[in-house]
Amino acid sequence: MRRVAVIGVGVTKFGKHERSSAELFAEAAREAVLDAGIEPKAVQALYYGNVTGGESERQLHMGPLAASLLGLPTIPTTRFENACATSHAAFRHAVMEVGAGVSDVVLVGGAERILHVPTEHATEYFAYCSDAAFEQPTGLTFPGVFALIARAHMEKYGTTEEQMAHVAVKNHRHGVHNPKAQFRKEITTETVLKSAYVADPLKLFDCCPFTDGGAAVILASEEVARRHRLPVWVLASEAATDTMWLHDKRDLSRVTATERAAASAYRRAGRGPQDVDVVELHDCFTIAEIVATEGLGLFEPGMGGPAAEKGWTSIGGKIPVNPSGGLKSKGHPIGATGAAQIAEIVTQLRGDAGPRQVAGARTGLTHTLGGNTATVLVSLFGRD
Amino acid sequence: MTDAVVNLKDFFTEARAGRLTGIRCTQCGELAIPPKEFCGACGKRAWESVPLAGEGIIASYTVIRVAPRGHVGQTPYAVAVVRLTEGVSLLGRITDVPLESLRVGLAVRFRPLVSGGETMVGFGPA
Repeated sequence: MRRVAVIGVGVTKFGKHERSSAELFAEAAREAVLDAGIEPKAVQALYYGNVTGGESERQLHMGPLAASLLGLPTIPTTRFENACATSHAAFRHAVMEVGAGVSDVVLVGGAERILHVPTEHATEYFAYCSDAAFEQPTGLTFPGVFALIARAHMEKYGTTEEQMAHVAVKNHRHGVHNPKAQFRKEITTETVLKSAYVADPLKLFDCCPFTDGGAAVILASEEVARRHRLPVWVLASEAATDTMWLHDKRDLSRVTATERAAASAYRRAGRGPQDVDVVELHDCFTIAEIVATEGLGLFEPGMGGPAAEKGWTSIGGKIPVNPSGGLKSKGHPIGATGAAQIAEIVTQLRGDAGPRQVAGARTGLTHTLGGNTATVLVSLFGRD
Repeated sequence: MTDAVVNLKDFFTEARAGRLTGIRCTQCGELAIPPKEFCGACGKRAWESVPLAGEGIIASYTVIRVAPRGHVGQTPYAVAVVRLTEGVSLLGRITDVPLESLRVGLAVRFRPLVSGGETMVGFGPA
């Protein structure tokens, strides 16, 4: 495969918007095109991510819609859906298109709009990412899925609700410095521990919010990227899948898809977890960050909770995790999240992250999880 | 090649009548919850259906307090992953067990829960 680089990134403000998801994507894409310093007509294809558009916006066929909004109505485009890992999955396929030599410049990303529908509708649409026969009829929600994982992790390793609270506190502390974040406000462990249970043992402040927003990335071949001031190279972009059904998972305290996607990415990039300077990972719930830090090999199984408590994942700690504020503070527009994580790592590796900069970061990792831990993508990025 | 040994409709028709059905690979002995075309362990397609007793213990559980549309009036309610004595697991709604007595390892027994023509897996006291 040819080498592929990210040469442009764009992210909308995350939070509540009065515009359609396709409009939000178009704003992010415009920012990415300007950031890349290319002519819009240089974009040869669009890989577009969105999850709930059919339900929340009565809108399908979003690829052509987004391309038309951009003023690029004739480029090939397809919409991707892989639950919360949607735009990271789109990214991997876009990398393969450029890597294979089919195109030299590809736009990839996604958007979501959900805050205009009532919470119980949003909760229902998100639950469509679990199984319609065995899981949805029980009234299981996504907080519920991760509550089952949290309980299993607590039973196996002694992980505590206080350790989980430290994840939320750290990500809110990081998010204060991200102008695009939905919540830019520090919280305490007491805020988390005293918040109401959503799905025991997870409380409101263990959960990321519902969010509207868009994110976009411009990929380029090596020849095009060499003309850019600071190309960030895609060292690997790997996907792994696990059984759709919670009932088929042998050990609920682990996310084996994370372990397998990470192993593939490290192998392809010729790097290991010890080489990673900065991580953006999928903290849809605080326990999800703890389990992900273990699955990515940053800490031994069972050490994710203590690591959060000791501050090892803070900016300035052993391995900074979610300097953007993560899904918890930055917000989680599910169709945009993967691309937004990639935008943050690119910004970090360029050294452009301002007060949330991880000093000297040269290798970064993004991790995005979809559904009942059934889809995971892991990508590695480097300055050289 | 014939249809699946046990499809979704079969599984839930039987479940509605109080019977849980698993499938066992006659080549390698793998036990699974249907439906599946090929055996995940050996890749063969040689299933036989086997009855499951419906007895098991809670492997993990949660109490849902913010529900999706359609379940809002039912909160709080418990959902658990139950490890059945045969070795496979099933997810189900917990019923007739006080929420405060829920714990990992608690013995429970399958029972069908039918509402609005839809059958879901439920578990009550052992």
